[in-house]
Amino acid sequence: MDFTFTKDQQLYHDSVKRFLTAKVTTEYIRQSWASHTGSSAKLWQGLVELGLTAMLVPKAYQGLGMKLLDFILLAQECGRVALPEPLLETTMVATPILGTLAEKDPRCRSLLHKIAAGEARIAVLHTVNNLISDAHNADWLLLPKSDQLHLLARDQVRLTAQASIDPSRRLFTVEWQGSSETCLTSGTEGVALLAFILNCGALATAAQLLGLAEAMLAMTVQYTIDRQQFGRPIGANQALKHHLANCAVATEFAKAPLYRAAYTVSQRPSQADLAISHAKVAAGEAAVLTAKHCIQAHGAMGYTWECDLHIFMKRAWTLDKFWGPAGFHKNRLRLWLMDTKAKIGADQTFSTQS
Amino acid sequence: MKLDFSTEEQAFRSEIATWLKQNLTGEFAQLKFCGGPGNEHRSPQQRKRWEQKLAEGGWSCIGWPQQYGGRSCSIEQQVIFHEEYHRAGAPGRLSLLGEGLAGPTIIAFGNEAQKQKYLPGIVAGTELWCQGYSEPGAGSDLASVKTKACFNETQGKWLINGQKVWTSLAHQADYCFVIARTNPASTAHKGLGFFLVKMDQPGIEVRGIKQITGTSEFNEVFFNNAECDAEGIIGAPGDGWKIAMGLLGFERGVSTLGLQMQFRNELNEIIRIAKQNNAYRDPAIRQRIAQSHAELKIMRYNALRMLSAQAENGTLQKEALIYKVFWASWHQNLGELAIDVMGPEGQILDKSNSGSEYTLNHLQAMYLFARADTIYGGTNEIQRNIIAERGLGMPKEPRA
Repeated sequence: MDFTFTKDQQLYHDSVKRFLTAKVTTEYIRQSWASHTGSSAKLWQGLVELGLTAMLVPKAYQGLGMKLLDFILLAQECGRVALPEPLLETTMVATPILGTLAEKDPRCRSLLHKIAAGEARIAVLHTVNNLISDAHNADWLLLPKSDQLHLLARDQVRLTAQASIDPSRRLFTVEWQGSSETCLTSGTEGVALLAFILNCGALATAAQLLGLAEAMLAMTVQYTIDRQQFGRPIGANQALKHHLANCAVATEFAKAPLYRAAYTVSQRPSQADLAISHAKVAAGEAAVLTAKHCIQAHGAMGYTWECDLHIFMKRAWTLDKFWGPAGFHKNRLRLWLMDTKAKIGADQTFSTQS
Repeated sequence: MKLDFSTEEQAFRSEIATWLKQNLTGEFAQLKFCGGPGNEHRSPQQRKRWEQKLAEGGWSCIGWPQQYGGRSCSIEQQVIFHEEYHRAGAPGRLSLLGEGLAGPTIIAFGNEAQKQKYLPGIVAGTELWCQGYSEPGAGSDLASVKTKACFNETQGKWLINGQKVWTSLAHQADYCFVIARTNPASTAHKGLGFFLVKMDQPGIEVRGIKQITGTSEFNEVFFNNAECDAEGIIGAPGDGWKIAMGLLGFERGVSTLGLQMQFRNELNEIIRIAKQNNAYRDPAIRQRIAQSHAELKIMRYNALRMLSAQAENGTLQKEALIYKVFWASWHQNLGELAIDVMGPEGQILDKSNSGSEYTLNHLQAMYLFARADTIYGGTNEIQRNIIAERGLGMPKEPRA
């Protein structure tokens, strides 16, 4: 039993974190709000050069052949800086799906090559969202219809921009007509892949929520040290200490289910639903609680547009609702627990598999 | 105990309801549900005219004594007025700070000349007020104000220097009531004065603060040798804190009952959406809706109970201390319920866009605004300290 990451995983994590912290500053994000696409080719190129787009592409298609578990800390970093790029839809959602179909489908193989080289961005729709994020910057879209999964180029669909509360995550509704040409899969395999899409999306979102929670907590701790009232830092007050300590507990304790979920997708796919729902619920609760207490600790300052806190709060509030809100995932946990074949009972409580 | 309204009170209810129905029409029809969180900036001129319309109908300052232009309405009548006002969706009151705070303070602590000078404009809805309390360094620690007021003998005027912040409606107000240090050597709540300052003068600059809602309702106000007449100070130099604290008592008054009618409208809207988009099928959502309803009723019953006691002995009971933390937290939870019920679609901005790029719909604005409910007018943390220290008699926190 070892819940830690390897030396290699940690080193790579450090370099991605350094890059994102340096490039994706809050000034950068504010500039992106005003820009036409909200996206930067230069930043994307930097992400490609770090190997992020190639990581999860199988080696056979010029990728690095790594697993979702290898990516999970990086997704957390994308959350920490509130990255305004559709990196995770391409890498953590589209890439594993295309990988599953690659052997039998040349389109998927060719697209994986392009993803690895940083030449293709994919946006992904799912029925739990009904909205698709950053589709205007995508080259291709993965689109579900009942038991079918379709792949369409951006010029084959009609996108309607839907301005969002979070100005750095651009949302769209999409109108499209699929055909046998655009259909990648259907039937039992289609249903299974659509479920896989949901799990990958929820996992990537949970990781970002956790990163966001950590970012908000860190900036708020600093604020409570700097801000003086009654002749001392406001952080000296127990009321604020306890708020932020509660956030730390929720955030820290959401990490284990997140990492376990990333592990489970690769190692025990039959338990992925359960593990990912657990992670999404825990990370969502941590992020929403942290947003709540962080704005409270900032006082009126946190309610202003000028204060950077809302960049992270709005991302957290939005992501909490996407890829299945808490109620959706708690229901999946409940379904699993209530199943007659559920592995519950004294002999299962601490089974050999966690 | 008597939990029903009397026949006379019912008649009063139908009088105000009918008046609103007849007058919230024509140029004022578009003001319905306007002037709340997220659309504070809309139609200020029309809303000021609405204040005057209310005054013409005799519906301004109804709780004030008749001798000062009010109607000397009973607590029950004021409750009824606020309920019907919000039930009709009448617009947010621009004269809130004049009618609810400045006026009652002048009535309680001002001299006859001040009453003559300032009260009629409030009653007529022609003069709007704002509140100059908070400063960059004086938020929860309100008594640490640094703004100074110095009497200039040659000019025969007070000169005010400093900065206020989070000043709601300062950009529309004609007057500001300001607490400022009259004794430069003083600290904390000693040596403060309470001033009535005209906003339209070269010594005052107002800068809007953009909120996370994208709109701007509160401001920074800079005082650079701003002038205040010798007669513009309430009480004596040094009385400022006592007067300011007396005024905070008025803040927990009857107008909060009207707030509950607005809350009721919001909860109804949430229930409507939950039925429409099937969010109600989630058992957790159903529980939260029921909980919200139960707690809203608790608020109403308790507010009526507190006000009954006030009517009896003229002061609010210590139970009044608990009210702010309860409604602020409740409303914040309601915002979370609203955004959860709306789901991913709830993240989309309002399509009936009125020029601004960042236009929130009513419930989105409420969700964001409710973040501030637990901050302004005394944060939840300050409120809980007050409950513990003044209500329960627990030891005070050590202060540096």
